[in-house]
Amino acid sequence: MMEPTAYLLLSGILFGIGVAGVVARKNALIILMSVEIMLNAVNVAFIAVGSHLGDPTGSIFAFMVMTVAAAEAAVGLAILIAIYRLKETIDITELSVLKW
Amino acid sequence: MPLGNFASLIHFLPELAVTATILLLVVVHVAGKNRQSAAPALLSLAGVGAALLLAALQPASAGRSLFEGMVALDGFAIFFKALTALATIVVIFMSMDSGELAGRSQAEYYIFLLSVLLGMFLLTASTDIVMLYLSLELVSIPSYLLAGYLKGRESSTEAAMKYVVYGATASGVMIYGFSLLYGLTGTTQIGEIGRALATGDAPLPVLLAAVMVTVGFGFKIAAVPFHMWSPDVYEGAPTPITAFLSVGPKAAGFAVLVRFFYTVFASPDVAAGVWKISSRVDWTLLFGVLSAVTMSVGNLVAVNQTNVKRLLAYSSIAHAGYMLMGFVLLTPAGLQAILFYLVVYLFMNLGAFYVVILVANGTRSENISDYSGLGSRAPFAAVSLAIFLFALTGIPPFSGFIGKVYLFAEVINRGVYWLAVVAALNSVVSLYYYARIVKVMFLEDPKDSTELPVPLFPRSVLCFLAIPTLLLGVYWEPVARVAANSVKLLAF
Amino acid sequence: MLTDFATVLVFMVLGAVTVALLLLVSRLVQPRDPTPVKLSTYECGEVPFGSSWVQFNIRFYVVALIFIIFDVEVALLYPWAVIFQRLGMVAFVEAFVFIVILLAGLAYLWKEGDLDWVRTMQDAPARKEGK
Repeated sequence: MMEPTAYLLLSGILFGIGVAGVVARKNALIILMSVEIMLNAVNVAFIAVGSHLGDPTGSIFAFMVMTVAAAEAAVGLAILIAIYRLKETIDITELSVLKW
Repeated sequence: MPLGNFASLIHFLPELAVTATILLLVVVHVAGKNRQSAAPALLSLAGVGAALLLAALQPASAGRSLFEGMVALDGFAIFFKALTALATIVVIFMSMDSGELAGRSQAEYYIFLLSVLLGMFLLTASTDIVMLYLSLELVSIPSYLLAGYLKGRESSTEAAMKYVVYGATASGVMIYGFSLLYGLTGTTQIGEIGRALATGDAPLPVLLAAVMVTVGFGFKIAAVPFHMWSPDVYEGAPTPITAFLSVGPKAAGFAVLVRFFYTVFASPDVAAGVWKISSRVDWTLLFGVLSAVTMSVGNLVAVNQTNVKRLLAYSSIAHAGYMLMGFVLLTPAGLQAILFYLVVYLFMNLGAFYVVILVANGTRSENISDYSGLGSRAPFAAVSLAIFLFALTGIPPFSGFIGKVYLFAEVINRGVYWLAVVAALNSVVSLYYYARIVKVMFLEDPKDSTELPVPLFPRSVLCFLAIPTLLLGVYWEPVARVAANSVKLLAF
Repeated sequence: MLTDFATVLVFMVLGAVTVALLLLVSRLVQPRDPTPVKLSTYECGEVPFGSSWVQFNIRFYVVALIFIIFDVEVALLYPWAVIFQRLGMVAFVEAFVFIVILLAGLAYLWKEGDLDWVRTMQDAPARKEGK
């Protein structure tokens, strides 16, 4: 049993950093990293709550999120490499073949 | 009482059939010499066909909770399993005909396609947020790969990149919402969460969680303002995948949206036969506005499009807006209208995309101006496309009209007149751009008057899609009854 | 539980406001006098040369990607291994199925040649057409 407030605060801050990174950065690699930060913020929240309640579900959920994050990173990086080979850049503002 | 893991397997046959097919496809890919052979396509057809059959044979009446409460087996889930499997079968036919995919590795393509199908099966049945998140990602991640399957073509790779960035962000926000719900209630079962929230008194975190979850689901159904990815992805992806994404994951997104919100943020009011909002957050108004905005943006932006795929992308955003009307009403009749509309929408939308593939195979173009004189160049395809487009508009006697009648009737019945007025105005706008394509096809002179041959096989598939589109416009009662029977949610 | 979240929300708002305020104050009071030397990258006193964006062999990415997948597999099996004896046969069968599915993935990687660090020239055209 521990007070989860501090951990939830940490989770909120991490999530905020992740969202800010996704919104503000143009480099696709950094955007993917920011998404990972968001997912890890979620992990912190789940584990803190699960530990507070003495419920293992929170930790299990964190494992699942890690797995999905790995799969998402693998696919994201593969697509990133494909983009880099075609355009020699990973700046997402340069992706302009498709537009309104 | 939820069944244990081994006892559940017997009720899990459609999913097992799809999983076995995926593993077989991996074996075929590893062992096979010829990467372009038709064997993977035929194997997938057999596997998905078996899954469809097994899903249809599942008893709809008795609701069951499987795998210790992870997934539900109820009429609602079975309906969506059959719907998504049917869409996948049509998409496999489309992929076999598509010129874009010729010369690409076949087995990998079908592995991804069937993985999405498996994800949709699980997504529509999930009753636990862990399962819900995993299956949502199982739908999303292979979709990213499919959107970028034309590696080396700039638009396709770019579409995949945008899809990954938007998709990963949306699901990240959604799961943070889940963590709030878990923190508030201490459980991951959506039924339990709903019961805990009904007695709680913290509107602010609940509202925050509801909004964050809406981001994830709204992304899947491409509702404005979470639609930004869809026009780009629909235009860049291979056309069979565009068709697939606009029907399959969208239907699954609606299924999970309904199951989640009707269980977590509403509870059945048995006496009145409707649902009522259980927490203090009035989310139906939020979704009402979302619905109106979605259909308006979809239709108004579609008017100016010159690329057929992009036009159909905006039209599919608009259709998501129409279907959301049924979602905000909290009545079984509203849900029945959504399910019926999804069936109709499957045939007409896949049909329209199929003609786009056939024309692109002949002309290598997806511009509306290149459809000029299609009525004389390929009369069969042109007439079919006209049928599908008029059905999408919702003109009698086509099936889209009946779908809209069900939706409008229930909206007016519940007294949400402003939404009905917005939807009616939108239908008028949509007539303009759908009719524009028909006009180009039949009234304008062709730039190139050579005949576009449509072989026998695509003709028969087109018939398979066009006949229900016409038939459901005059004799819709059986499908409507199935839809009504399927609106049986499991309230765990 | 509920009040915890309210506290978090207050903290988040306060945190954001504090950061914005501090940045604003420092922007207002800081002296600005940039020179080329000041703007250059600090490398422990050395004069920096070249770009830090060095190209790595793309093969590193592929190996890293493969590693991630199998690394996570271990992460999932770890809790299983801890309580394996209490769960008995059922857990064994379930983990076995899980590993068989991953083995199919390994066979795929092997066949695609992603496990070979050095590729023969024979493989190159086959891959180009296949993928």
